[in-house]
Amino acid sequence: MPPLIQFDRVTYRHPGSTETTPPALNDITLTINRGEWVALLGANGSGKTTLARHCNALVLPTTGKVLIDGKDTSTEKLLPQIRSQVGMVFQNPEDQMVATLIQEDTAFGPENLGIPSAEIRARVTSSLDTVEMSQYAHRPPHLLSAGQMQRVALAGVLAMQPECIIFDESTAMLDPRGRMEVMDQMRQLHDKGFTVIFITHFMEEAARADRAVVLNNGMLSFDGSPADLFADIPLLTRCGLEQPLTLQIMIAIRTLNPALAHLSDNFEQAVRDIPLYSGEFYVAEPARRSNGAEALISIEHLDHTYLPNTPLAQRALEDVSLTVTAGKAHGFVGATGSGKSTLLQHLNGLYRPQSGTIRVGPYNFSDDALDVKALRRFAGLVFQNPEIYFFEQYVGDEIAYGPKLLYGRDGLKERVKNAMALVGLDFETFKDRITFTLSGGEKRKVALAATLAIQPRLLILDEPTAGLDPVSRHNLHATLKKFKANGIDLILSSHSMGDITQLTQNMTIMSGGRSLRTGNTAALFNDADLINQASLGQPAVVRLASAFRAKGWPVPVSTMSNGQLLAALRKCSGASAHE
Amino acid sequence: MNEFDFLSRITLGQYFPTDSVIHRRDPRVKIAGFTLMILFITFSTSKIGLAIAILTLLAGIMLSKVKVTFALKGLLPPLPWLVIIAIIQVFFITGPSGTPALLTLGKLNITMVGVWAGIMLLIRFTALILCISLASFTISTTEMIQGLGLLLKPLNKLGLQTSDLVMVVQVMLRFIPFMAQTAERIAKAQASRGGNWSNKTRNVVTRIKQVVPLLIPLFVISLRRAENMALAMDARAYGYMPQRTSYYEFRLRWSDVLFFFICATISLAIFSV
Repeated sequence: MPPLIQFDRVTYRHPGSTETTPPALNDITLTINRGEWVALLGANGSGKTTLARHCNALVLPTTGKVLIDGKDTSTEKLLPQIRSQVGMVFQNPEDQMVATLIQEDTAFGPENLGIPSAEIRARVTSSLDTVEMSQYAHRPPHLLSAGQMQRVALAGVLAMQPECIIFDESTAMLDPRGRMEVMDQMRQLHDKGFTVIFITHFMEEAARADRAVVLNNGMLSFDGSPADLFADIPLLTRCGLEQPLTLQIMIAIRTLNPALAHLSDNFEQAVRDIPLYSGEFYVAEPARRSNGAEALISIEHLDHTYLPNTPLAQRALEDVSLTVTAGKAHGFVGATGSGKSTLLQHLNGLYRPQSGTIRVGPYNFSDDALDVKALRRFAGLVFQNPEIYFFEQYVGDEIAYGPKLLYGRDGLKERVKNAMALVGLDFETFKDRITFTLSGGEKRKVALAATLAIQPRLLILDEPTAGLDPVSRHNLHATLKKFKANGIDLILSSHSMGDITQLTQNMTIMSGGRSLRTGNTAALFNDADLINQASLGQPAVVRLASAFRAKGWPVPVSTMSNGQLLAALRKCSGASAHE
Repeated sequence: MNEFDFLSRITLGQYFPTDSVIHRRDPRVKIAGFTLMILFITFSTSKIGLAIAILTLLAGIMLSKVKVTFALKGLLPPLPWLVIIAIIQVFFITGPSGTPALLTLGKLNITMVGVWAGIMLLIRFTALILCISLASFTISTTEMIQGLGLLLKPLNKLGLQTSDLVMVVQVMLRFIPFMAQTAERIAKAQASRGGNWSNKTRNVVTRIKQVVPLLIPLFVISLRRAENMALAMDARAYGYMPQRTSYYEFRLRWSDVLFFFICATISLAIFSV
């Protein structure tokens, strides 16, 4: 039997690109065997997606050959076979739904293959069972959560009875729970003997695979086990990748203290193996100051229903009450559909309270004479994936749109220049660049600058790091941290607990449209039951820190970053531990 | 109503899955039956016929287990327009010269013919709206697509790719709510940056200036999404087999034939009584 997927010296150039630009894929030779679980990694624009799309003939090589089970993908009459053998789940869940009901969508592939109706129905039933979505068979897709939609997309692929399934960043747009669900599905498929290939920006996910394939500028840079990959720091840096956070900290911890040197790379194992601490006890907690800081935002009993008084009415917020303290970055966490975005859109007056009260800075929303324009100048809101809303050709014009409307032409250039400086884009180099040619990270910075140019006192960000690769994510974190020095308060919502622990001091946990709890970020993350109740996951560092505390190590509750945990452990390094 | 709730401004037919006698009929006979009635209501000149239409439709709505009051509410939004058109009819349809005038306002004569024309228009539209509502209460989008596909199938012999046509309708239906949602998100993102949406000015240039920042991203996003969807369809082998099969199998039963027969009889009555 020939191997399942074979790349033979494949080079691919985008149509219309010239000989001088580097090809999207450069001389790739690669074999993937049946039953493998492969993570495909690389920075944005490294050619991962292009490579994946060669595997089921969505893209054909410019030179070289791709063989699927021995069949050349350039032979058109073999396409139905190739596509039923290698299925694909894409990044955006909504875009893959073709039909108006879940069961029909699952049936779409088999219908295309000309399979008889009775057989199609049997396949639809069993595929929906496999992904545990049978009870939703009669629902329209837009009533599902993103995670559920991804499972339906997977069912649609399974119904074609493939040997191999490719997940092209299928977890990128999901909340932690949805991400875990999809990863678990992959594991189960792998256990059943399917070949699974997945593209991801999350190194923790990549670490679960059997094999890692890394692309860098279209070239194959690494092919081997994830453990070997993550041991090679120079290679990771060159390819714009990083070690999984959990691995980074385990490695650092092992070198700190001989008592900890035996801890495993495997995070779950390590958490169980932490030895009891018998060293000197000291009070690690700094006395918490509870000074009556000024409230920047206060919300009381806020309700919001979409499309009220129609059959489509949907309750989005229910009795939400919370306070945001001035000078402390505030995070909002919660599963998809918990009401975060709706709440953020209230804060700059896009929605007015249907009932309840909101006060943002000096603006009281119940006030009939509320100056919405002034409010929007005070509280700037940056939407999720803001770069998709760009409409100007040049970076400078895009950023100038807001200030021109709100302040007029006087000093416009200065405002644009300042905003660009704040996000770290050089005015002269970037002002005349065409927006659509920028990289993902640069676009995100332009979008930030476009809002900063209206000089808000408060910057509200909805999912600021969604879709960015690790390097761009770190970059953005650094940029956001700088804002505080310029007197800008930050409010952000995120599915990435890393964003929240890195950037915020306080947070509000949302669940099912309600504000579950507001308080100190570290304190709330330490409450495992609460985090679970909101369908979230504790950040790895917090789990590790609390595991250390449980064994008597003096690690403060406020620990939220690798650096803080290491600093706390370093103080114990003189002490000995029980063997 | 919020200035950004674009989705609520799109009122597509509302399907109620109440599983009534009418709901259970084969989509083909439902589509054909209701189409027939709509045609005959439109062209009927009979007062009694239109009265029959309204009565049978009300009975049909009761059979469909949808609240009659809900169906009647659907008549309210277009009512002002209908009344205006009816009044125009009253003034401008005077019948053949020599018809006695009921009332003369200046140069305008109001005749019995005109009054009846106005009343007929109101009744006709009432019947039409009820008929379309009943159809949308009882035919789901899925049934609509499948039914259309089956009804159009004979056209394949003429060399028309009807399955592609039906796929176009299906994808279009998926896109409508999406476009509304996207437009809403863009408008909000623009408003957050100082764009002005609440101010409805009559100045054409200002309006166009407002709309450009909305249209460009809307086109870009829709095209990108269309491309993604095409890719997803391609990946699932759409269009490589000459004949697609279907998840559903429809078989006409006697009750379906009877339903169509009833629709046809009513239609004839509307037209010829």
